[in-house]
Amino acid sequence: MKNFNRIFKFLMLGFCFIAAGCDDYLDINYNPNNPTDAPLAGLMSNVTYETSQNVFRIGSSTSYYVQYLASPNPASGTDVMDPLSFDGTWGSLYAVMTDLNDLILAADENNAPHYEGAAEVLMALNLAMTVDLFGDVPFSQSFNFETVTPSYDDDEALYSRIFDLLDSGISNLSIDSDASMGSDDFIYGGDTNQWIKFAYMLKARYLNHLSETGAYSPTEVLTALDSGFDSNGDDAQVEYFEEANNPWFQVARSNANLVLGGWISEQFVEATDGTTFGVMDPRISYMIGTTDEGEYVGTVNGAGRGSASEQGERSTLVEGDFYTNPTSPVLIATYAEQKFIEAEAAFGIDKARSYQAYLDGIRAHMTKLGVPDSEINAYLSNPEVAMGVDAFTMADIFKEKWIALFLHPEAWNDARRYDYAYEDFDLPENLNPDLNGQFIRRLRYPDSEVSRNGSNVPDVTLLDPIFWDE
Amino acid sequence: MRNKFILLALFAVFQAANLLAQERTVRGTVTSAEDGTPLLGVNVIIQGTNSGTVTDIDGNYSIDVGENASLIFSSIGFESQEVQVGNQTVINIQMLQDLESLDEVVVTSFGIEREKKALGYSVQEVSGEEITRTKQPNIVAALQGQAAGVQITNSGGAPGQSARIIIRGINSLDPGADNQPLFVIDGVPMDNSTTESGGTPRGLSNRAADLNPNDIESINVLKGAAATALYGVRAANGAVIITTKKGEEGDVRINFTSSVGFEDINQYPNIQETYGQGFAGVYDPTSFWPNWGPSIDEIREIDPDAEIRDIWREAMRTGVQFDNAFNISGGNEKANFYASLGHLTQEGIIPFSEWSRTSARLNGELKFNEKFRVGANISYVISGGNRVPHDRFMERLVYNTPMQDINDYINEDGTMKSIGGNTNPIYDARFSTFEDEVNRVTGNLKFTYEPFKWMDINYIAGTDYFTDSRTEITPGPLGIEGERPLSSTGYITETRIESRDLNSNLFFTFKNNWTDKLTTSLRIGNDVFQRDYERVDATGVDFVIPRFYHLNYASQISNDQYLRKRRLVGLYGDLSIDYNDMLFLNITARNDWTSTLPIGNNSFFYPSINLGYVFTESLESDLLSFGKLRASYAEVGKDTDPYRIGQTYNSVGVPLNGQLRFSRNDQFGDLNLLPESTVSIEFGTDLRFFDNKLGLDLTWYKTNSKDQIIPVPVSETSGFSTFITNAGEIENKGLEFIINAKPVTSEDFSWEISFNAAYNQNEVVSIREGIEQIQLGSQFGYVGSRVYSILTEGEPYGNLWGSSYARYGANDDDIYLNKDLPIIIGENGFPELNFDLKVLGNSTPKWIGGLRNSFDYKNFDLSFLIDFRAGIDQYSQYDNFFAAFGIAEYTLDRNETRVFDGVLADGTPNTQEVWLGQGEGPDGRDYGAGFYRNTYRRMSENFVHDASFIKLRNITLGYNFGDNILNAFPIETARISVAANNIILYTPWDGFDPESFSAGAGGNATGFTGLGYPGVQSFFFTLNVGL
Repeated sequence: MKNFNRIFKFLMLGFCFIAAGCDDYLDINYNPNNPTDAPLAGLMSNVTYETSQNVFRIGSSTSYYVQYLASPNPASGTDVMDPLSFDGTWGSLYAVMTDLNDLILAADENNAPHYEGAAEVLMALNLAMTVDLFGDVPFSQSFNFETVTPSYDDDEALYSRIFDLLDSGISNLSIDSDASMGSDDFIYGGDTNQWIKFAYMLKARYLNHLSETGAYSPTEVLTALDSGFDSNGDDAQVEYFEEANNPWFQVARSNANLVLGGWISEQFVEATDGTTFGVMDPRISYMIGTTDEGEYVGTVNGAGRGSASEQGERSTLVEGDFYTNPTSPVLIATYAEQKFIEAEAAFGIDKARSYQAYLDGIRAHMTKLGVPDSEINAYLSNPEVAMGVDAFTMADIFKEKWIALFLHPEAWNDARRYDYAYEDFDLPENLNPDLNGQFIRRLRYPDSEVSRNGSNVPDVTLLDPIFWDE
Repeated sequence: MRNKFILLALFAVFQAANLLAQERTVRGTVTSAEDGTPLLGVNVIIQGTNSGTVTDIDGNYSIDVGENASLIFSSIGFESQEVQVGNQTVINIQMLQDLESLDEVVVTSFGIEREKKALGYSVQEVSGEEITRTKQPNIVAALQGQAAGVQITNSGGAPGQSARIIIRGINSLDPGADNQPLFVIDGVPMDNSTTESGGTPRGLSNRAADLNPNDIESINVLKGAAATALYGVRAANGAVIITTKKGEEGDVRINFTSSVGFEDINQYPNIQETYGQGFAGVYDPTSFWPNWGPSIDEIREIDPDAEIRDIWREAMRTGVQFDNAFNISGGNEKANFYASLGHLTQEGIIPFSEWSRTSARLNGELKFNEKFRVGANISYVISGGNRVPHDRFMERLVYNTPMQDINDYINEDGTMKSIGGNTNPIYDARFSTFEDEVNRVTGNLKFTYEPFKWMDINYIAGTDYFTDSRTEITPGPLGIEGERPLSSTGYITETRIESRDLNSNLFFTFKNNWTDKLTTSLRIGNDVFQRDYERVDATGVDFVIPRFYHLNYASQISNDQYLRKRRLVGLYGDLSIDYNDMLFLNITARNDWTSTLPIGNNSFFYPSINLGYVFTESLESDLLSFGKLRASYAEVGKDTDPYRIGQTYNSVGVPLNGQLRFSRNDQFGDLNLLPESTVSIEFGTDLRFFDNKLGLDLTWYKTNSKDQIIPVPVSETSGFSTFITNAGEIENKGLEFIINAKPVTSEDFSWEISFNAAYNQNEVVSIREGIEQIQLGSQFGYVGSRVYSILTEGEPYGNLWGSSYARYGANDDDIYLNKDLPIIIGENGFPELNFDLKVLGNSTPKWIGGLRNSFDYKNFDLSFLIDFRAGIDQYSQYDNFFAAFGIAEYTLDRNETRVFDGVLADGTPNTQEVWLGQGEGPDGRDYGAGFYRNTYRRMSENFVHDASFIKLRNITLGYNFGDNILNAFPIETARISVAANNIILYTPWDGFDPESFSAGAGGNATGFTGLGYPGVQSFFFTLNVGL
């Protein structure tokens, strides 16, 4: 009957010619599917989750450049450093920065400085990740629809913006406020002290990126670190969910189901199984899987798996390891990483502090993985690892940091600063011929951006370094 | 409000006042001069008045006349006669068929029949017989080649797969806009949308495919804005007016048609069958790489039983189609009816693809008295099938080794047999199911009340209601050791779509014969349209019990709900003036109010005017039997989709730890959005020679669509990826030719020719300041060879852009690739690549057309339809994959050494010899992945090809049984026929039928074949019996 009434009304309307009442009839264009405002908590949970996803997204490409991973197929694009178009990653980075922009504005309007501060810290992080991949990128004209073709900001200038955001974040997080974050904050559950430490840690990370530039100040790095993480308990990470499993777990599971991926590079296997450095790293069994024979066998980047079968003959990510549980965390910034930054910054100032930080970094990472103390102590007393302050070199820091940053995007920043000078680190087979026998230095601007904002996109090659790498 | 006054003023003109002294009664019978049958519905009018009557079923009439009266007898299809009454009381009339106007009745807006000669614009009619003869289950596909300026493209060969119709080119810059015409059935608009699957393409149906072609009496294609002004915003791209059959007075007629058809792929690509599995020329029977191994001769030295098979043919089957249709009709002077049942099933060439349609229809009309009639049509359709993931199917054929039996795909335990980690496409097609079922009811009621001879009132109310239930299942692991599952989790998605259209249309018609030469007709009306649409998707991931696929037994559930409501109100007027059957003037005006634009901008007015002049009325010529000139000017407004204004947030994914995540929608709609406006001008002529044996119809048109509402893809760095705004103008101009000829007409033999051709030229006149281009779509190509469809100012719609070989001396500012310039060869001896996008071709055909020939010889009839398109390019994704995987025939030269033709960076000729193969070459140099993977596959230029074709679309041979045979059975008519579709395809395109595109009929990015469902050829046998 209800339907009939509705139809009847409709028919009556058919008989009526346009009158004032018809304005109401037409005033129905209110989107029932999408609200016009978003709650702070809803934005917060999204930006913390998506930041973590961005760390994964970038890591899932750069892990091939730094040879954590290698493709089972020969001449795979990421292995051989082809000029791939990372439209998805680019879009995800700007999508989360857009939400962060809105969160900062909404938090400011609603007088919620903790939300504002946390959003500023995450904005700094996502912006830095973007700059580190692409160099000059749009930012100052972005997000608020000033223009549909934002111009590109200089990468060096964006770094000062990053530091400003971190400083502003720290001061906002330090304000007393009732509007506090809670379980909507997937990183710290609303703990502002930890957020502040995280901001200082990031400050140290990005100041340390400047190591090859004239602006580098190791003392500033160390000053920032002093207010950074105090232990693994401060690590910035998102633990995954029953409803949304850890993305590396998904890679491992797909691989187990023969949707191949997550194969370990020979470089990583040999660096940890004793081949390269003469010491078996106990972490290997917490990080990667073995062949059916129980051995660690890597795959050469760019070469493919050759005659190896799809399963059981090479090391891959496997379900259930530290990085690959359904609810494993994705690590955004860790105490271990901070210790290696300290080691690097202190190296020329206080080598003893540097050495100690190096040892602490290894221990922190091993503890994080759950390696038993006995094995940690054995590793840390092996002369290949604990070579003593005098024999200790920058190469040792970069090597151990590279292991501790397994699958993390920061490893590629290090590799570029370090000119890929790791022990026995070779170019991939079938290298992209345009690279003239050199390693990749940046990503190409994605096709989506070239086609929509082409006149602003800088003309670069894969060999042009980011400003801190020049 | 001003507009309303104009309409009322026009109405006032029609003050009818005619009172005449009437003295006596005249009666008589009107018959056809040709065969003496009584004629129903002949108008009998007292000259100089509005008074008159019509003849009844027996051709009888009676009318009261005054002194010195004369009567005018007129009926469509017959020559009018004027008779002085004098003293007569009985006047019997024989009507002569009017050759000029024979077959000249066309159905225009709201199902109103009008004489074609009175129209100032171009209309083309296709008869129901011409539709059914094609044996296309989809009426859109059946229109192919049959109407000038109407471009039909099958999106592929899957059962039930959508076909797209575009009239006179694309009018919208919006990549998501529906550029297809409005479909109207029996005066009521119907939904012809295509809702593709969200994931991999599945080849779903356009909703007009729900119509049973056997029910169709005729289809009229209204092309210009003038023809469609009365339908308002939804007909801005033209209209397809469908009239279904109705019962005729007389005995009950029963008709039964049964046909069976078989189909196969009509064209295969050229593939190599020399090199087998492996990479870098090394044989590996478990390799991922199907064709980069050594030659079969070398392989046989290792594995003597090895063979290279044609998996492309082996994976397909012969498609089968059964179509049974039954109808019964009849009537008397008070009422008539038509009822039909139809059932069609179709199995496609890709295993497990199928579609069926069951339809029922009842059309009826009841005449209460001379003044009041009611008609009602109702149809109920169930359609749907299993839609295989054809794109993935074809992609997996690329990866699968040709050295194994592709049909050997399943182990006894139900798991897949997989080689080299590849998914077997047949296994996938069988188990990754996607079933849809549409239940659809369309119906209308039409009331006609004619209180006075000079006025009638019509009210048509119609509804189009359907539910579309879709179930997509991809199994997860079966829990068997060592299996290769299709998905690591498996999932089920249940989709429920409910759509309801309501249409109401009330109009008044006023007719007046001012003098015997001047008649006018005015129609004013109001229509209201409302569409309610709701879609709910529920997805369950990770089945707890293998092979038990149900939402309740999935570990993770997520939902999605989408609601939409749109309303439109229109007010219109239509004035026709006919002077002496020679000069016809038609003026229309319409105002629309829409719910989808901001209040204040949501009312828009648009007029049209058209003029027809039959100059042969004042000209006696033996050569020229009929000649008409016509001209029209029309505007049409257009609104947009609901909820496109402003900025919104949406919730993302499932709640995590109880937290619902919010993200800003990446689309922003202009707060001051205005309606679009389309202005079109048309001039044409219709000429008939030699007693109508030769006809020529020429039309020139120009259409400009301005203030286009476009979702402009913008840099994601702006905070949105799409900005919906009024921007830009697009212009279409073109010529249409229709030539009809009847070279032979005799008792035993007749021959008719009908040819149509259309040329369209399209230009994006402007976009918007600050926006240099709009990307319509793009399709994947390996490392840098992705091809884009991008609109830029001053260029035609449909330009395809991509990477190319670097050219020596090329001007960087030139957007077109100049293939005449020499290719630059790099220091490594291989061509250098240019990743700056250049225009490589255009996907909009310049010429389209068709030629039909029909021969009748005694009881035999033969007809064939050829259609063609020319000046069109497409990106062949198949070719890109075939190059990357060493499948294309041209990769046979992979082990050769070559000096590439071209110049070095300094302009001197290249002389360096290089090897095309993989790994270490004969010169000891490491060539890596080889020429085809390192160079060739990366250049879009290599894969954008000419996609013109000429097709023998249909050839039908029929035999009608003669009376001598029929008399032996209780049947009236019987016919058997054989038909073949697409059996001849002539095209420069290497690959499957170039008539294919991956977007489905709803999409506008037509230049991309994807790895689409291959086109087919088919053979049909049909038996038709009438009782």
